Amino acid sequence: MTGVENRIPKSRQKEAPRGTYRWIGRSMKRVEDPRLLTGHGSYADDIHLPGMALAAVLRSPHAHARIKSIDTSRAKALPGVILVMTGAEAADKAGPLPCFANPPVKQMCIAVDRVRHVGEPVAAVVAESRYVAEDALELIEVTWEPLPVMADPEEAARAMGDGVLHPDRGDTNIAFRRSFDFGPVDEDFAQADHVIRRKLRWSRSGAQPMETVGAVAEFNPGTGKFTIHANTSMYNYVGWLVAASLGVPAHRLNIVPTLAGGSFGSKIFTHRVMVIAATLARACGRPVKYIEDRIDNITACDAHGCDRIYDVELAIKDGLMTGLKCHVIDDYGAYFQFGVGHHGNALSQITGPYRLRSVRLDLTAVLTNKCQQGAYRGFGSDVANFVLERMVDAAVAKLNDDALQFRRRNFIQPDQFPYLIPTGNMYDSGNYPAVLDKALGLLDYGEWRKRQEEARQSGRYIGIGIATCQERSVFSATEFWMLNEEPGFALTSSPESVSLKMDPTGKVYVALQAPFWGNSPETVATQILAEQLQIDPQDIVVTYSDSDHGLNGTGPGGSRFTVMLAGAVVGAAQQLKQKLIRVAAHMLETDASDLELRDGKVGVTGVPGMERTFAEVALHAHYFRLSMPDDPSLSSGLDAAHVYDHPATTLPAVDRKDLGIFYPIMGHMCHLPVVEVDVETGKVEFLAYVAVHDCGTLVNPMTLAGHVRGGVAQGIGTALYERYHYDSNGQLLTASFMDYLIPTLHELPEEIIVGHVETPSPFTEYGIKGGGEGGRMGAPPAVASAIEDALRPLGVTINVLPLTPKHLRTLIREAQARRPIAAE
Amino acid sequence: MTIANERVRVTVNGVIYERSVEPRLLLSDFLRHELGLTGTHVGCEHGVCGMCTILLDGRTARSCLAFAVQADGCQIRTVEGLGTVDGLHPIQEAFWEKHGLQCGYCTPAMLMTAVELIEANPSPSREEIRDAVGGNLCRCTGYQTIVEAVELAAQRLSAAKAPSTPAAGEDGSAVGH
Amino acid sequence: MKPPPFEYLRPADVEGVLAALARDSGETKILAGGQSLVPMMNLRIVAPKRLVDINRVPGLDRIGIDGDWFVIGALARHTDVLKSPAVRQHTPLVIAAYRHVAHRPIRNRGTIGGNLAHADPASELPAVMLALDAEMVLHSRSGERRVPAERFFLGTFETAARADELLTAIRVPLVSENRRWGFEEMSQRQGDYALVAVAATFDLESGRCAHPRLAYAGVADHAMRIPAVEAALDGASPHEAAFEAVAAKAAEAVNPPEDVHADAAYRRDLVRSLTRRALTAAARR
Repeated sequence: MTGVENRIPKSRQKEAPRGTYRWIGRSMKRVEDPRLLTGHGSYADDIHLPGMALAAVLRSPHAHARIKSIDTSRAKALPGVILVMTGAEAADKAGPLPCFANPPVKQMCIAVDRVRHVGEPVAAVVAESRYVAEDALELIEVTWEPLPVMADPEEAARAMGDGVLHPDRGDTNIAFRRSFDFGPVDEDFAQADHVIRRKLRWSRSGAQPMETVGAVAEFNPGTGKFTIHANTSMYNYVGWLVAASLGVPAHRLNIVPTLAGGSFGSKIFTHRVMVIAATLARACGRPVKYIEDRIDNITACDAHGCDRIYDVELAIKDGLMTGLKCHVIDDYGAYFQFGVGHHGNALSQITGPYRLRSVRLDLTAVLTNKCQQGAYRGFGSDVANFVLERMVDAAVAKLNDDALQFRRRNFIQPDQFPYLIPTGNMYDSGNYPAVLDKALGLLDYGEWRKRQEEARQSGRYIGIGIATCQERSVFSATEFWMLNEEPGFALTSSPESVSLKMDPTGKVYVALQAPFWGNSPETVATQILAEQLQIDPQDIVVTYSDSDHGLNGTGPGGSRFTVMLAGAVVGAAQQLKQKLIRVAAHMLETDASDLELRDGKVGVTGVPGMERTFAEVALHAHYFRLSMPDDPSLSSGLDAAHVYDHPATTLPAVDRKDLGIFYPIMGHMCHLPVVEVDVETGKVEFLAYVAVHDCGTLVNPMTLAGHVRGGVAQGIGTALYERYHYDSNGQLLTASFMDYLIPTLHELPEEIIVGHVETPSPFTEYGIKGGGEGGRMGAPPAVASAIEDALRPLGVTINVLPLTPKHLRTLIREAQARRPIAAE
Repeated sequence: MTIANERVRVTVNGVIYERSVEPRLLLSDFLRHELGLTGTHVGCEHGVCGMCTILLDGRTARSCLAFAVQADGCQIRTVEGLGTVDGLHPIQEAFWEKHGLQCGYCTPAMLMTAVELIEANPSPSREEIRDAVGGNLCRCTGYQTIVEAVELAAQRLSAAKAPSTPAAGEDGSAVGH
Repeated sequence: MKPPPFEYLRPADVEGVLAALARDSGETKILAGGQSLVPMMNLRIVAPKRLVDINRVPGLDRIGIDGDWFVIGALARHTDVLKSPAVRQHTPLVIAAYRHVAHRPIRNRGTIGGNLAHADPASELPAVMLALDAEMVLHSRSGERRVPAERFFLGTFETAARADELLTAIRVPLVSENRRWGFEEMSQRQGDYALVAVAATFDLESGRCAHPRLAYAGVADHAMRIPAVEAALDGASPHEAAFEAVAAKAAEAVNPPEDVHADAAYRRDLVRSLTRRALTAAARR
């Protein structure tokens, strides 16, 4: 490709991957764990403030209705009730919630004139206890005027008048409608030997962390300042937007992070819960705790996963995939907080690990009477992987080809990196054949094909699934707006920062700008810092800055955190190192260039014994200014901060035929599940599962494997068990854990064999790539592939998720009816 | 309707507590908010997720499905009674080594479940471990390392008990703390 | 999700319980294991004004033989029933069903009587009791009443027990150790309520099925037997083809409910395949 060299930013990598490290690459026990193991982790509901009152929220029973009246008098009169607030009363004090879409869709923390989904808050109560608050909810009387329910996105797209959810935006529920062409789409389809067509359905599931969203808010009337403790993220990136919603200047809000009991993207914002808690606290003059109960979270978390209908076409010429057309209907839900960012995200790797040359995306996002989508592990690329791998399997079947050969033939080859895909994004490095080979070896693929054949002879249905998918990491902020007609707030920064200090005793403090979600930020920071400073991890402590003290930090999401945290730590550590060495050089009366860091000391290279401990150097640096040269860079103290920006990102072209480089740190995976399908009951059992991931240089293989396994578990949930199932009246039929089925260990493979391949990134520190989302991004296509392979003798094709036993049994029954000879 | 409070006298981790509570106060809320033992977590309040699992008179129970008044006269054990940061119980140590936790929210429940299993059955089979762990949800780990942690803990605890088993266990760590 | 307020009583003995039930019985609920009741209270689906805690009432959890009957006290915890060698010996079908019942912490607190009195149509144990020709022993201030399982389970969460009655025991007629039994269930996850479950028992007399019982969970608003299908099984030869015919008949006989997890066609498929499997397993025993 001409001009490729010009498009790719220069690498700013300071630490090249070197293969041997002291701390990086070790499966070190986690720094976070001791307090979690002993029950001393502080989660949102563990926060107790003096005088704290408890809130509960009245949930709408209707999917779409006008609120005609709300009578809160009986609720207010209940002993123990401090305050009852309607949406209209909240709107007096709190403005719309933040929305990244442009034009935005207005969402209030408590519904004002109408409700737009079941579970949407209609009123809130503050009481001396959560028990009394819930008693009071039952005494609130609401009269409703039902409106037509838009539960089907195609119907919603056609609706006008009363069926429109946000009439102030126009007489339509279509929130976004645009088509994008990348590369020579029409040409590729005109010249194709084969065009594969499929209609695919990805139903909505969601993060469902074991801990719901919660906030404890207080308002200090003396300072006019809010403090909100919450299990939120992004408070050091866009926390000030919450202040805007609360109607105060940004410096009158401090957000303090708690631990989060899981998030998987769903706690990236938590704006609604924070604004409700803070608004109530200001109104009643006491700290207020609002913790979602499980029903609150399931129905109104503002973080449902993707929900899409795809009509896909794949062009093939001479056995190679050339063009891909996706017509997508996105059943978004009642609001639009991330706009079509999930689709931009998908475009980062829409062509997968293959050499496809053209893509058309024809996207319609529709507002419907359901909880809105948010961020869930994959953020749209999970769906893109499923769609593409289904098409690959369909192509293999159509061409009567071999699943492995077809993929190998179409792979981007190891010598083709950095590689630019038709949408403009770059894949920084990779070796896809190596990942596939490793996976096949770990599974003993040939052996399983033999067993499959034997099983078929005895009437059993065993299948081997293959998914070779990308797992992009480190999103660019351009993803939030680049598909919009009018960009709106076209931000281009998504940094991560740390501040470091070494105290006079030689201990090192690392302050993070983003929370703990179950990822391992303290351990990653510790390992990288230990590597940089050659210091014992026991001498490092990690803290979390609230928004008052924080630097610009985007937080976990899009598998970015390890890469970005590493970049920030390296940047700050190198500054700290420099000063340590300069002070030590003065103390040792030698040149800085003669010195190295070793085992918590600064010493002359090659001369053991000629050294000073960090404690000695630090004490000197903090207290003995007049013993040091009169150079402003030797001021008293030892600290450094670094803001690390995205290492390789560029702007989209104005005409959007090239989206620029926006998600280039490109990991890759191969998942090979082996399943057995009970064709009479539709039950799926796992006989084996191999997942090989390439996440570049691994900081901690044990924690990465943990993410892979946990992600696979969630991916299996999405593939087989989980669904937010709305009926035609917009009633959520799976509104508790009795019906929303999260897999226990019995539903999952007993063992997920995890393998690693490492193709370091040329752009990131140490060549690290992100891998937090990958497991969930590979499992759904792999499982669909395995089931389709198992049922190949019956001619069943898999186009819909989730593959519940009922759904599978229905497909099998229909297939058996079509082919009675194969039935018994 | 004014409902009288009931007296509850309960032993938690060996300490006796006496309180006067509303009959409807859930045992999970009693432990967390009345006694300040926030190590036991709440996930669903309808008995499915298992976050609230504690030991009630030696057996695991969902504390969100019991009323505090029912625990009058009972012995309860929660994660706070297992070990401390400077003196982890071997089960906690095993979870740490095997990466049996990520966000930590299900961890107290998994630990108490492991305690019930291993104390009743010092050499549980893998199936028995899976059956026990299968009663709680975990959204982070995919369960595999939790099972491995329980297995390791059981091995170490029975090696420590065995009087003169040569080269038994990896480090002969002491039983209980 | 917090429960609504209630008055709490903890009588020391059965008489105290019955006296409490006799007053305001419509507003009073028994609190045994609480594993079914408390979730419903936390979800505010039910709001009893009074709870009568029977957990400490002595004498209600004994398991043993009484003449020609095997008796399980209603307050026996699932865990204890599951561990009981006597249950394994006399009612192995109960043990087989327990493999599918919830999880250990639920079984530690939940009671067999509580489960049966709750009468969830997708619960395994009511179907097992039907297959075993069990009798429910009910006590009230008016005395004792025994209701055969066949007449006990009436509808969703509805049994023949009156509001002032306490289920105190379950009696199962002793049968020959040669009696065959099979239990099959399909649920989406291990331990969930059944989409469909089948409890099957029969004797083999002169190489033919005799005195058959086929009971189902999940196919109606209460656990049920299908007499016409049992009749088809009666005298049948214990082989695959005969079982398949019986299973097909069972699938046609049911009119199953539809919900988010299963439609009627799927439940019928399950009735057919699980019936055949249960009968086959029984014959092989």
